[in-house]
Formats: sequence, C-alpha cells, structure tokens
Amino acid sequence: MPERASGWDRASDPEKDPALIPDPATTEVPPELRKRIEDAMTLYPERHSAAIPALHAAQELHGWCSPEAIEQVACVMRVTPAYLDSVASFYDMLEKRPVGKHSVYVCTNISCSLRGADALLAMVREHADDDADFNVRSFECLGACDIAPMASVDGVYVGPLEPSDVPQLLDDARAGRPVLPQKQLATRLVADPNANSQEFPAHAPEEARR
Amino acid sequence: MTDMLLFKDIDEPGLKTLAVYEARGGYDSLRKALALTPAQVLEQLEASGLRGRGGAGFQMGKKVSFLPQGSMEKYLVCNADESEPGTFKDRELLQKNPHVLIEGIAIAAYAAGTDRSFIYIRGEYVLQADVLDAALAEAREAGYIGERVLDSDHSLTLVVHRGAGAYICGEETALLDSLEGKRGNPRLKPPFPANQGLYQGPTLINNVETLSTVPSIIALGGEQYAKIGVETSTGTKLVSVSGHVQKPGNYEIELGIPSREIIYGLAGGPPEGREIKCWFPGGSSAPVLTPDDLDVPYDFDSVAKAGSMLGSGAIIVVDDSTPIVDLALKVAKFYRHESCGKCTPCREGTNWTVKMLERIDSGEATPMDLDIMASVQEHIIGNCLCVLGDAMAMPIGSMIAKFREEFEEHIEQARVRQELAAHA
Amino acid sequence: MPRPQHNTITFTIDGREVQAPENAMLVDAAKHGDVEIPVFCYEPKLGNPVGACRMCLVEIEGIGKLQTGCSTPVKDGMVVHTQSERVKEAQRSVVEFLLINHPLDCPVCDKGGECPLQDISFGWGDGISRFIEPKRHFVKPLELSPKIAIDRERCILCYRCVRFSQEVSEDYQLVLLERGAHSFVSTFDGHPYVAPFSGNIIELCPVGALTSRSYRFRARPWDIEDAGSVCTLCPAQCNVSLTVRDERVMRVLARENDEVDDGWLCDHGRFAYPALARGTSSAEAGGDRASQVLEQASAAGNGHPPSAEPPTAPNANPHGVHVGMRVSEPLLRDGGELRPVSWERALEEVAAMLERAGARTAALAGSGATNEEGFLLSRLMRETLGSPHVDSRANGALALELQRALAEPRLQAKVSDLEFAHGVLVLDCDPLLDAPILDLRLRKGARRHGLEIERVAGENLRAMREAALRLSEAGAELVILWGERFGAGSDGEERVRALLALAEELSLGEIDGAGLLEIPATSNGRGLRESGVLPNCGPGLSEGEQDGLDTHAIAAALASGELSALYLLEVDPLGRDDPFAAAAASGSWADALARASAVVAHATLLSQGLAEHANVIFPAGPYAEKEGTVTHPDGRVQRVRRAAAEAGLTRSGWRVIVELSLRLGTDLDVRTEKEASRQLFEAVPFYAGLTLEEIGGRGVRWQERELVAVSGEPPARGDERA
Ligand SMILES: Cc1cc2nc3c(=O)[nH]c(=O)nc-3n(C[C@H](O)[C@H](O)[C@H](O)COP(=O)(O)O)c2cc1C
Ligand code: SF4
Ligand code: FES
Repeated sequence: MPERASGWDRASDPEKDPALIPDPATTEVPPELRKRIEDAMTLYPERHSAAIPALHAAQELHGWCSPEAIEQVACVMRVTPAYLDSVASFYDMLEKRPVGKHSVYVCTNISCSLRGADALLAMVREHADDDADFNVRSFECLGACDIAPMASVDGVYVGPLEPSDVPQLLDDARAGRPVLPQKQLATRLVADPNANSQEFPAHAPEEARR
Repeated sequence: MTDMLLFKDIDEPGLKTLAVYEARGGYDSLRKALALTPAQVLEQLEASGLRGRGGAGFQMGKKVSFLPQGSMEKYLVCNADESEPGTFKDRELLQKNPHVLIEGIAIAAYAAGTDRSFIYIRGEYVLQADVLDAALAEAREAGYIGERVLDSDHSLTLVVHRGAGAYICGEETALLDSLEGKRGNPRLKPPFPANQGLYQGPTLINNVETLSTVPSIIALGGEQYAKIGVETSTGTKLVSVSGHVQKPGNYEIELGIPSREIIYGLAGGPPEGREIKCWFPGGSSAPVLTPDDLDVPYDFDSVAKAGSMLGSGAIIVVDDSTPIVDLALKVAKFYRHESCGKCTPCREGTNWTVKMLERIDSGEATPMDLDIMASVQEHIIGNCLCVLGDAMAMPIGSMIAKFREEFEEHIEQARVRQELAAHA
Repeated sequence: MPRPQHNTITFTIDGREVQAPENAMLVDAAKHGDVEIPVFCYEPKLGNPVGACRMCLVEIEGIGKLQTGCSTPVKDGMVVHTQSERVKEAQRSVVEFLLINHPLDCPVCDKGGECPLQDISFGWGDGISRFIEPKRHFVKPLELSPKIAIDRERCILCYRCVRFSQEVSEDYQLVLLERGAHSFVSTFDGHPYVAPFSGNIIELCPVGALTSRSYRFRARPWDIEDAGSVCTLCPAQCNVSLTVRDERVMRVLARENDEVDDGWLCDHGRFAYPALARGTSSAEAGGDRASQVLEQASAAGNGHPPSAEPPTAPNANPHGVHVGMRVSEPLLRDGGELRPVSWERALEEVAAMLERAGARTAALAGSGATNEEGFLLSRLMRETLGSPHVDSRANGALALELQRALAEPRLQAKVSDLEFAHGVLVLDCDPLLDAPILDLRLRKGARRHGLEIERVAGENLRAMREAALRLSEAGAELVILWGERFGAGSDGEERVRALLALAEELSLGEIDGAGLLEIPATSNGRGLRESGVLPNCGPGLSEGEQDGLDTHAIAAALASGELSALYLLEVDPLGRDDPFAAAAASGSWADALARASAVVAHATLLSQGLAEHANVIFPAGPYAEKEGTVTHPDGRVQRVRRAAAEAGLTRSGWRVIVELSLRLGTDLDVRTEKEASRQLFEAVPFYAGLTLEEIGGRGVRWQERELVAVSGEPPARGDERA
C-alpha cells in the first residue's frame, strides 16, 4: 500500500464548474452501460444500492473508474460524481488509476506468505511489471489459503503456485487460455477425508474456467 | 465422527445443479418448514442452539426472535463477504453446494417473516458468485424463490450482490451501508440491525455456513441437532486449516473435539521436523495460542476460556521457522489496510502500530517501544466504533505478551546489525 | 407535525444528581450539571451522531465498554462517570491518536486561539506524545474553492464538513476519498466546492483545515472583537456575529438563532460584506471569479444570485467617482458631473430641492433601510412636505384591508413552522434565491420530518388551490410560503383574496403550526410597511389621512411631470439586482428619472443608474455601520447593531432625514437612535411597549406579545413554542 494516497496534494481548479449531477443532455453514456446500470437499479428498493454493480460495469467498459466513467454512472444514477468517486475509492477492486487489462492479484496475507507468497509476488512482478497489459497487485487474503500460495488471475483462482509457474501463468493470461488449468481452485476436492470422497473418487475435474 | 451435515456429498459431481441437489433430498426441508408455522420453525432453530458461524457466535434462533413482528418491510441478508484471513469455508459451500444456502435462506426468511433477501458476496469470489447466480436462476424456475414459494403464501426475492474488495464489509453494519451503495463504514449500535438495518428496516444478518446449516436442523429437528457437539456449542463446524500444516483445507468437525485432533489428526500437523510456534484458533483476529493450548476443546466457550476466540473457525498454524515480528507486521499491515478510517483509535492506532513494528524490524527501536506498543493496543481495545481495531489489537497484544523475549532479541539483533552496517 | 417535547428526568453524573430532558444525548445532558464532555464529530445541526472521533467516551454504570456520550440518550436513573481513571485514559489516548498526524503549526494557523483541538488537547490531553515517527506532510494550503482553502495535514477526519455537504445543503460535492489512514476530504476530480452554503464548513471545522481565503492571516483571535448583528442582505435576516478589527469587519459568522437561521449562513451573507463595505475597486472589476461561478451554479438551479452589483469599468471622472465604489462622502451633481461636497453643502442643496418640490416629492425605501429610517422618512414626507407619495413595496400597493388581513397574527406562520409542518406550498418564490436560509429549513423538514413540498406559480389560482388541498391531505399543518410578487400586477389583489380565501378554507388561522409566510421583495419589506412606508396607510397599517401614489404610479407621475422630485432611501430603480427595478415596467424608471427635476439618494455603492441620474447622493452605511431595528418576514423585530465605524463621512439615514426636516421647518424631535426607536414603537400599535432591551440579541415576534393585534382583537396565538 502506498505511503501516500495520491490526491492528498491536489487542489481544486477554480476554473472548473462545480461537479453537479451530470446533465443527460450533454453526457454521452454508451447504451450497453446505461442498460446494465438501469437493470441493476431495478434490483433494489433504493437506487443507490446499484452503485457498486454500476461501477463494476463502468470499469469493465473503461478499464478503470476514470472521471469519464464515473460521470457516466452518475448521469444514469442521478447522483453527483463525488458520491461515486467516494464509493469507488473505498474499495480495493475498483481502480482509480489506469491499469493493465489482465489483473493478477497475488495473495500476500499470512497463510500465503507463510508458504512463500512474497517470493511468488517478486517473481510475478519481475515478469509482468513492465508489461502494460498486466495489473499486478499484492492482495489481502483472497479466501483460498488451502491452495497457498495463490493468485487470482482475471478472477480465476490458481494455486498452490511455485515461482516456476509464473511464466506459463502469464502466457496463458496473455493468450486468453485457461490459466494453469491443473492448478485452478475450481478443480479441487475438499480436503476432509471423511467428506465421502471414497464414495466419489477423485473424479474428472470440472472443466477449467477462463 | 458424526455424519457430515454440510459436507455430505460435497464433491458429488454436479451437486451445484438443482437436479443432483434434489436427488439428494434437497429442498425437502423447505417443504417441511412451509408445512409448519413460522413460529414452529423458529422453535426448531432455537432448540438447535445453533450459534452464528461468522465470528460473533451469537445464537441464530435468538437473533431471529429479536425481529419485530408486524407488516413493515423486513430483510434477510446473507453475509458471504468471507474476508477474515485464513477463512475459506463459506467459499467451499458457495461453490459446490449453492442450493443448500438458498434453501437455508428460504427457510430462515419464512421464520423471520421477511420477503426480501440479499446475499452479499465478496467481489473476489467470481466463480462462486457465478455459481450462485446459476443456482438461483434454477431455484426461481422451480418455484423455491419468488412469488408464493411452493404455492404457500410465503414469497421471497433473493438478489446476489457482489462486493468490491473491503474486509470491513464483513462487519454486519458496514455490510449494510455497502449494500445501500455507500462506503462500507460501520454504523453506531444501537440501533441493532434486527431493529433498524437495511434501508432502516428490521434485518436478519447471518453467515453463509449458519444459513446453510438451517436445512439440516429442519431435517433432523432442533433437539436432534443440539445433541451434536457440546452443550454451548452445538452441531458441526467447518474449520479452515491453513499455514504450516501438511494438509491445509476445510474440515467438518463436531464442535468440542480437541484442537490437536484437527491440527495434527486431520491437517497432518506441521511439516517434518518443524514445531508449532503459535496458532490462531479463529482467524487472524483471534489472540494467538501456543502449543500448550493444543488440547483445548475446539468450541466457542473453551477457546474463549483459553484466552482467544473461535471466531470464524479458521485455524492458522505458524511453525518455529517464522519470526514473530514478521507475523505481527503482516497482521498489523492487514488491519491498517482494512481500517475504514471512520473512528480515531482504529485509524490512527493501526497506522501507528505498523510504524512501530517497522522500526522494531529495522532496528531503530528499544524494548521501551514494546511497552508503548502494548499500551497502544490497550487504548484501541474497546474504544472503537466497531471491533476491527480490536481485531488487530488483540492478536498483536497477545504476541507481545507471549513472545516478548523474542521481540527483545529481535530488537537487539537488528540494532547490532545496524551498527555493523554503519561501521562497515 | 408534533414538535418533539421531552419530560425531565434525573440522572447522576460524577456523583451529582442532575435534571435533564429525557433522551437528550449525554454530552448535552451533562451541561445541565455544568459537566463538559469533549467532542469533535458531534454536531446536532448535522443530524444523527456518527460516533466517529471517540473523544466523548464516558463510563456508564452497568455497561462494560465505555460509551460515546454524543450518541447515548440519557435515561432516568443513569449513573455516568466522566472523571474516572478509565475515562481519562481513554480521552488522553484519543487526543494522542489525533495529534499523531496533526502538524504543530498552530502559530501560523488561522484557527489558533479559537481551535477546539487546541482547547481539548490542553484540557483533556497528556501534554506529551509518544509518537516519534515522522509526521506526514502535504502541500498546503490548497484551494478547495474560490472562497475556501484546505489544509489536509490538519484534518482530523471528524466528518463534519462532508456531512454538511451531504446531509444539510445536500449538494453532495464534498466527500471523503480513499480509506483508513489514507482518507482525505475532497471534491470530484479537482472541481471546486461551489454551493450556496459552502462557507458553513469553515465554521464547522474543529481545526484549521478549512479556512476562509479572504480571512486567512487577516487577524488573530486576540486582536479582534465580535459583535452580534443581523444580516440585512436579504429578507431572511440571519443573525450574524461580525469579527471586527480596527473598526473594520473582517469576517461574518453565523450567530445561531434556531427561530431564524438554525445556525447557518448563505455564502452571499458570509462573503459579500467586505465588497459592500469597501466597494469593488476597479482592479477587481470583472475579475470576481467567485461570483461568476456562483452565477453558473445558480443557473444550474443550485446556486445563488450574483453578489452585490458587479463593477463595470470605471467611467472617466476626474474626481475618481466611479461606478462600484463605496460612496463615503456626499456627492453633488455639478455641471453634469458628480463631485464630492461637504455635508453642509449637500444638505443645503437637498433642502432647497425639496422645498421647491414640496408635495410633488415622492419617496421610496428599500434594501437595508431600518424601521426607524423608514418611519422617519414617511414623517418627513407626510408631515414636513405634505406628500403621501411614499412606498416600500416594489410591486405596488395592496388595499389596506388586504394588508391587514395578511398581517393577522393567527394567520402568521413562523420560520420553524416550515420545518415541522406536514406540507409547505411554495408560491411564487424561490427560497434558494429569495431567502436562501429558508431553503435549508425546508430541506431539513423534508429530510427529518417527512415534510412535503410543492411549488406552484401564482398565475394559475386553481393549480394553487389544488396543490394546497393535495398537501393538506398529508396533514393539517400547512404553511404557504409566498413571494411578494404574487400580489403584483393589475389582478394582484384578486389573487391575494384567493390566497386569503384558501387560508380560510383550510382554516390555517386556527391550526397551530399552519399559516402564511410572505417573503417580501426587499430585506426589510415587512418592517418598512409596518413603519408606515406605504402610500395608503400610516404606521402599524393605520388609516392614513390621504392616500398617495404607489411605486408604479410614482414612476408614471414623474415621467409625466406630475411629480417633480424623487427621494430614494437605499433604492436604485435601475439597479441590476434591485427589486424596484425588477418589478418596474421596463423603461418606465429611466424616463421617470430623466424627467425628475431632483433625484436624491442614500446609497452605499455608486450604481450606474445613480451615477447617471442622481442630483445628490448621501453616503449610507451597510448594516454593520447601522443601529436600529428591522422586522423579519414572520414578524420578529430584530436589532441591527453597529459593529464598524462609519466609513469616511458616511451618516446614518435617520440623522440625515431629521436634519433635512429641521431645515424645512419641522422638528421631528429625534436626537438619538434610541429616540428614533422609541418613537417608532409608540407609533406602531402592535410594537407598543417594545424596548430595545426586550428585543435583545434574539429578537421578539410581536405576534407573540400580549397586546392588541392589527385587527383589534388580541392575537389568537400566544407565545407557545416561542
Ligand atoms: C471486522 C469484522 C469482519 C467480519 N467479517 C465477517 C465475514 O467476512 N463474514 C461473516 O459472516 N461475518 C463477519 N463478521 C461478523 C459479522 O459482523 C456478523 O456478526 C455475522 O455475519 C453474523 O452472522 P452469524 O450470526 O451467522 O455469524 C465480521 C465482523 C467484524 C467485526
Ligand atoms: S476538514 Fe475539518 S471538518 Fe472536515 S473532516 Fe477534516 S477536521 Fe473535520
Ligand atoms: S463526539 Fe462522540 S464520537 Fe465524536
């Protein structure tokens, strides 16, 4: 985590107008994004609840929660951009800066680091840091300590990982192939020996996800 | 070993599909429940003695009974934020047996008299959320969720809401704010969610495992269920074991068995030739225990008596190859990163603690700093808006108390290293 | 809506039994026992407590954890400790935590000396910090808006400012970004925080993180004085506290009066004063970015009318007399040009002009004129010059019986009724522009008490009635908030009759908390009318001997030559923001002023219109240089107090009027400001017996005093809830 949050030293520009709820007449919103946001709003008694789903959608489209993306969401949700900016900057998965299109979250919390996560992260950084297509992040516990050390590659959990797995992991991601199919969490049986695994012997793993 | 309840058939191919789930008797409990009155279902839940599996260990039946009667809009929220370091039990259920959760929610909602429910799932659980969505679609199709469930006059909507990465959103009131589309800041309590929760309406919040257990309780009957486990900790519990053990993973145990049996018997203990240095019995928020505590029965009260907590049921084992300072730093950094920043002691205290540990690590500290650090932990505990602050202060405090010599040695060695470096 | 009312309970604090209203928060209840519990984030004006700063932790017997006094309602029999070692340690630790990242730049901090963090650190802190790590440092101060600077190093994250933006003014422009120790206060993507009430965050901030850019480094708390007064820049008449240094007003702060302003100020009232007092120098001409932004915001339906008349380029006048400047000495037109002259000369000339015009003189009073000034003006006109042609209604006269009906005490709604009513019908006015602070009151009512609001335009009387009936379904307590312009025009009286009929139909006069509330066109519109500045009645809406011409007729009569002289008391019929100009048929005043043989004006700033048409201009002071009374739209008589020296040769209007009258042979028998007030109170039946002492700092609603009302019968409503 950076020692300084960017923005601490940022002043307001008095030449700009105040950021009010964007005017639909002058704010271009891609139709598919508008649809996703409007659909999300119908799911809740209170439209504000759609903020996170809407920001997820905008991030998918724009690559990050850019000012433009936030203004578009604000326009559809009829809230101020500041409201959404405040929400977006609170959550780890919503990006406030432009990032590579492939996300690699390496878990560096206790259980993973006990099993070599820090070396793994170093390896990933070494191979991907200067590749603009990757967004490498050291992440807090991703809830998969049973496959420690692990990473979430574009949302797919893989582990346990050896540093030597890294090159293929990145290649798979680049090529749009399933990432390290044999190491995906999706294919893993429960560890508990009593969990009737004798009745269901290690069966063919469900096909791996991308 | 009693029969599996939660992990029964867990790895059967396709269990996550409605067909297989039903073939295994799925949704019979919901039928059974709908044949009873909500009050009767509530009786079963109370009789079962089921305590919450999310961390606080509060009796589920009691919580349901706290919801006011009446026609106002009430809500049920399933907490699937599972972010406590070392915890991954809910993930297993969500991914492999989503219907048992949906069934549990349907039953609990019926008992609580709510017709709107949400599952708040952490954003990182992409696969699990997709599985849930698919299962939910099937359940709607089959009439288990929606208008007039199974032609009863009980209706229920269920929405899967994906979070965006913030540990604090596991805290129930922060979760509610987040679900309302705000920053995930905890709320002042009182009012408690049961009276004023989501959209100001009475709200029942339960953990995935808690709700997934409900169908078993209805199937067995509360009394029967209560016979499993020990008096104040009934039933079975999923335990996530991780860290320095040979077979990390989820295990379903009967509450009250010796911790040693879990760590050594099931998870295979630490790697060859290593000794356990300390272990977290309930996620990284729990004060650490030592090898001396290995025979503590694994249930809520016994672990509490041993000076820690069962928490989310996540055991993290740390062997003697790990410097305690590294461990403390990991823990402190995590909570600094996750502190929402709303209240002073947590925001500043986690930040300060990390800075002190970094000095200790780099050799710019004296043993006196340990006393300051310990007192800072005391100033955090009990003085914060929610217990995230305590969640750092308790384990850090326990580490200082139990491993003081090692801290002091570390300080001394680091200082010497520093000086050598300076003269070199 | 029923007002909250509390029965008294007894609880024990630090060993003493104390009485307090039940369910008051402990920090407030404690005050009843003279116990102070320190707070940072607690500010009831912002809504429910957030319990964030943890400064207010106290020990309550029977509860294990320490509790936040700001969010714990006091109950009968509660036993509270604020002095126990546990509590003291917790307080010391919170102060220590807060100071970890707070810079030690108090010596150069504007807040120094009036800083809650300083006071609380001193009173409850430990004096030493065990934090030896380097403090964080940011660039500072940064511009948050044209008016406000932010110093993020100093911020203690109490959430007050963002809560104001989000939950009071509801503009939601100011937010917290990031999380945890990284959180900071900001706007979206570097946009300025520009909103009608933004300045309040400066006062809310408990540290020096938010400061006024115009006040920065202007003064230190120990070399300033505070003077309470009333802002007369709009009809809301908010109570203000003026910070004065060397006889000059350095800043304007709110002086909480729940019955008037709820403790808030609009940015116009807070920031416009200096320009008013100093005049807008040519250097600033057109360069006032702030007011431009405000205009954009107001165009976006979210702002405020532009502040005092923006300067146009100075005209080439050898005597340095230019538009926009503060008039600080008498000006006399001589050879087509305004030149500074002595008071003697100016008074002599004006006396002569009025002598000549006699009964063919007309007078208008507006903007900041006090009751006393208006009262004496109408005496000058009626008694000295024998002319009944005086008016203070920009929109022209209303039949006397209508004025009286509207002034009926039992029909009169007051400001706090806007908050607690079931419904408010906003009729022919825009509170945000006409009386901004009322906009906050309406929002509060809607947010906290479910108040329903409907806005209608007055030209459609059916729509008005239907809206009112719709609202009254929500509950009987209905307030109709209407603008003076509703009664304007040829069919104005017909509309007012319809309004009165509607009030009758809904029996607003009989229902507590219901009624009518008019926003007059000028700041002291109500006061001037009640003081007798109307063509068709005397002081207190009494029967006048002879009816005179109203504003519109005066304009016409001047244009036609029927009238010859015009006396303007703080009115500029051609002024950009002057209601008299707004209400006039276009062009009419231009002709009128051009034809008039004499135009005499009391003015603070030199406007284009006066520069072209006035024969004599007397320097008048803005409200901080005045002494007198004004009357709030809901009938609250309030005191305007002099806080600053009269600039240059400025003289109070009342003195000038009295002097002129004397020169014209009539002694109005007023020698001091107090005498002027006393005369006024004697002349207006329903002000009878009022004294400046009684009015005091909070004002007095005359309807709530026990005396004879306009109609003759005693008021139906006494001062319940007062
Ligand atoms: C900082 C913090 C994080 C928490 N995280 C979780 C979580 O990830 N999942 C969860 O179920 N409960 C979590 N809890 C506990 C919840 O607040 C709440 O007690 C629980 O969801 C109630 O459900 P239960 O009674 O079924 O356990 C957390 C509590 C705190 C203070
Ligand atoms: S800027 Fe001032 S008011 Fe705003 S949060 Fe910081 S300290 Fe509080
Ligand atoms: S004043 Fe009570 S927590 Fe801030």
